Amino acid sequence: MSKLGARSVIGVPYVWLLLFFLVPFIIVFKISFSEMQYAIPPYTDLVGWADEVLTINLNLGNYYYLWDDSLYAKAYLSSVRIAFFATIGALIIGYPMAYAIARADASSRNALLMMVMLPSWTSFLIRIYAWVGILKNNGLINNALMSVGIIDQPIAMLNTEFAVYIGIVYAYLPFMILPIYTNLVKLDNSLLEASADLGCPPWKTFLTVTLPLSKAGIIAGSMLVFIPSVGEFVIPEMLGGAETLMIGKVLWQEFFNNRDWPVASAVAIVMLLLLLVPITFFHRYQSRELEA
Amino acid sequence: MSDAASSPMLEIRQVTKRFGQLSAVKDVSLTINKGEIFALLGGSGCGKTTLLRMMSGFETPSEGAILIDGEDVSKVPPFQRPVNMMFQSYALFPHMTVEQNVAFGLKQDKLPKAQIADQVAAMLKLVHMTDFAKRKPNQLSGGQRQRVALARSLAKKPKVLLLDEPMGALDKKLRSQMQLELVDIIESVGVTCVMVTHDQEEAMTMANRVSVMHLGEIMQVGSPSEIYEFPNSRHTAEFIGSVNIFDATVQGVGSDASQLSCTDLNCVLSVEGGVNAVEGAQVGVAVRPEKIYMSRTQPEQGDNWLHGKVEDIAYLGGHSVYHVKLASGKTVMATTTNVDRHEQRLTWEDQVYLYWSASSSVVLYQ
Amino acid sequence: MQTGKISRFSKTVLSLGFFFLYAPILILVIFSFNKSELVTVWAGFSFKWYGELFRDPQMLGAAWISLKIAFLAASAAVVLGTMASIVMVRMGNFTGKTAFTSMITAPLVMPEVITGLSLLLLFVAMGQSLGWPGQRGMLTIWIAHVTFCTAFVTVVVTSRLQEMDESIEEAAQDLGAPPWKVFFLVTLPIIAPALMSGWLLAFTLSLDDLVIASFVSGPGSTTLPMAVFSSVRMGISPQINALATLVVLVATIAVFIAWWVAQRSLRVTTKVGD
Repeated sequence: MSKLGARSVIGVPYVWLLLFFLVPFIIVFKISFSEMQYAIPPYTDLVGWADEVLTINLNLGNYYYLWDDSLYAKAYLSSVRIAFFATIGALIIGYPMAYAIARADASSRNALLMMVMLPSWTSFLIRIYAWVGILKNNGLINNALMSVGIIDQPIAMLNTEFAVYIGIVYAYLPFMILPIYTNLVKLDNSLLEASADLGCPPWKTFLTVTLPLSKAGIIAGSMLVFIPSVGEFVIPEMLGGAETLMIGKVLWQEFFNNRDWPVASAVAIVMLLLLLVPITFFHRYQSRELEA
Repeated sequence: MSDAASSPMLEIRQVTKRFGQLSAVKDVSLTINKGEIFALLGGSGCGKTTLLRMMSGFETPSEGAILIDGEDVSKVPPFQRPVNMMFQSYALFPHMTVEQNVAFGLKQDKLPKAQIADQVAAMLKLVHMTDFAKRKPNQLSGGQRQRVALARSLAKKPKVLLLDEPMGALDKKLRSQMQLELVDIIESVGVTCVMVTHDQEEAMTMANRVSVMHLGEIMQVGSPSEIYEFPNSRHTAEFIGSVNIFDATVQGVGSDASQLSCTDLNCVLSVEGGVNAVEGAQVGVAVRPEKIYMSRTQPEQGDNWLHGKVEDIAYLGGHSVYHVKLASGKTVMATTTNVDRHEQRLTWEDQVYLYWSASSSVVLYQ
Repeated sequence: MQTGKISRFSKTVLSLGFFFLYAPILILVIFSFNKSELVTVWAGFSFKWYGELFRDPQMLGAAWISLKIAFLAASAAVVLGTMASIVMVRMGNFTGKTAFTSMITAPLVMPEVITGLSLLLLFVAMGQSLGWPGQRGMLTIWIAHVTFCTAFVTVVVTSRLQEMDESIEEAAQDLGAPPWKVFFLVTLPIIAPALMSGWLLAFTLSLDDLVIASFVSGPGSTTLPMAVFSSVRMGISPQINALATLVVLVATIAVFIAWWVAQRSLRVTTKVGD
């Protein structure tokens, strides 16, 4: 390929990503050290130049504020907790499904996979909204249970953490199934036969052969569920109610309701640091896939 | 072809190719003549594919030059070289028909439509694929795909045709048939051809000249029989066919015959002609198994015989290979042709004498 | 015996799993035809919510904006994503490749609130110092969507490009086609199905995005998810059910078409046994 052509093929996406993905983070980082003010833009400049004096105002107040107000610590912790257990839930439901699809005969695999993906092709918001109607006090589940007579008072399900778990598992399940499936389908059937031939019962074969070999898929799937869940906004907003504290929601409120951009930026930076380890983990897996 | 053989078509001048620290091709020089079928033979990692890719233009030499028909093409990109390649995987365009595949190169030259159609028809006829013109590659068998790939790379009448492991994607039975067919087609067109292969049989069947490559260097260039009968190194001798190599010390050098001593033999080892080494030098002496005779009784000749016990016999139908263990611990191979069905053959544990004539062996210096 | 056991296990798992995935959607669809105002009590069949949906100028306007953005964002993301895939698969190593891969993969998992906030702050900072973009609206949403959709397109196209035999491209070059022509005559037709599914994926992602768009949108550029969100925040509305049903219908048809095309191209590009 000619030098110029090669450079522009690399250059165009590179510059785009630098400008619209990397630079924004630097700006967020910068603004997290500024102070809120009622002006346009609603934050102070870090660098001042007046009367030949250069002033650099690094305001650590936003971070101190996050540290000081236990609301933020609680929000971070409960986000991680909710995302973690929701990921486990998605794994428990998703792994058997991925396994079943991978073991199905080749002709029906694609159709089954398409059925898993189809819901994700419809609106995320609408799918979460569907659960509102199912879970609320006069919703489908409560109505059904009451009409049968199992309960006479509706069980509060909407606006609880439980609803958030359901929402995350429901919305992110395909992202768990897909990488695990891709991994399991590559598993050579003769490995399982060899294991059986060597006297290993099926359940033990699963534990000693199938499960370890699908580790990469499990990691990728879990990261695809866990990382976005930590910062999820729509699900806790619509299903979690006021009591469910999640950091994505906090950031949203700081930004839209309090219009405190510096604090919102600090919240984002801390969230990013929190997710750095899982993101690098995911990145290592993904770049191996992409560059292989 | 001897009349055309004098003028060079492809010249490789002191070409070196480095990938980082590693030199894949080291200071290689070659001259390939018009109309020749030339084979680069070697194991995996010997640099033969890198050399071929430099001829086609997919790699550029780190040092040296490549000339085609007298013109330096070292810096010319692949799409401007008068060279076409048949890829190991055939690399047929899956979304085009056989016809469109063959026409692809001609279209790049912006030839008039009628001329393209004529040339495509001629090429398909040449490879006997006229009936399959409208098929897609995935509707063809392996052998048919190869013919299409050949037609496609011949369509532009390249000055040099490159074949990368031409039989690599075919099963064994089809190979021997396609080898001869391919040679017939190439010779009928008269194109100069360079092929890369790891299969010595393939190289010897198809090529007029073979060069043996090892670790990025060319070990020997010659006709198939030269390479087989007169290998110039242990590597070439061992790579082409099977061979017994005796470590020997030069004792007496003469113009008609020379004498060497070898602990494996029960007598003196003599070779035809002179030896290019001083007395006392260590050399190898190679003897091909089919040039060794076997007998139960001690041979009458005073040199070139040894005594051992049959350790293993590989019965291969047409011939058998005997592995004879010597007192020194070395195993020597000897071949016999199975002429008579009921012959009383030597068997395991038999004591045998092996002997050969002085003209059958080759002295190896490296 | 063994296979019987496996398939019974599979059947149970898959029926339960698919029930979980599809029941909520099915309920939405059923209740979109409900006569009653109450979303959860059946009061007879009616198309009235569809009528209301199509008479709602705000919803229609938002849908139109969303469709326009999604179309343009998906198209740009396919171009950028294809370039990025070629960089990843065919260009070998170059300085800054690790940074490149990181920037390609990170948006796949980046929480939307972070992406949204950071892009908004970029646009504000650019507006302050460069005077562009002066106002946030469709253009800024488009840029944001292109950025995160490119990552998804890259993953889809990269995996197809990896499967493709590189010597096919070399053969085209060997036969006299310069690199750009090789790309358009050989590579592009072979990876076309992947480009199409990448485009569809990007289109859906863009059409679906609420959080990022909320951050970077401006006055007069309310997208469909934003309209839906503000509507459901005020309480449940059967009109949304009607909208949901239409979305499901369109998505199903689109996915079936994409699937059919993919199956057909699979038959063309994969070997059929002799």
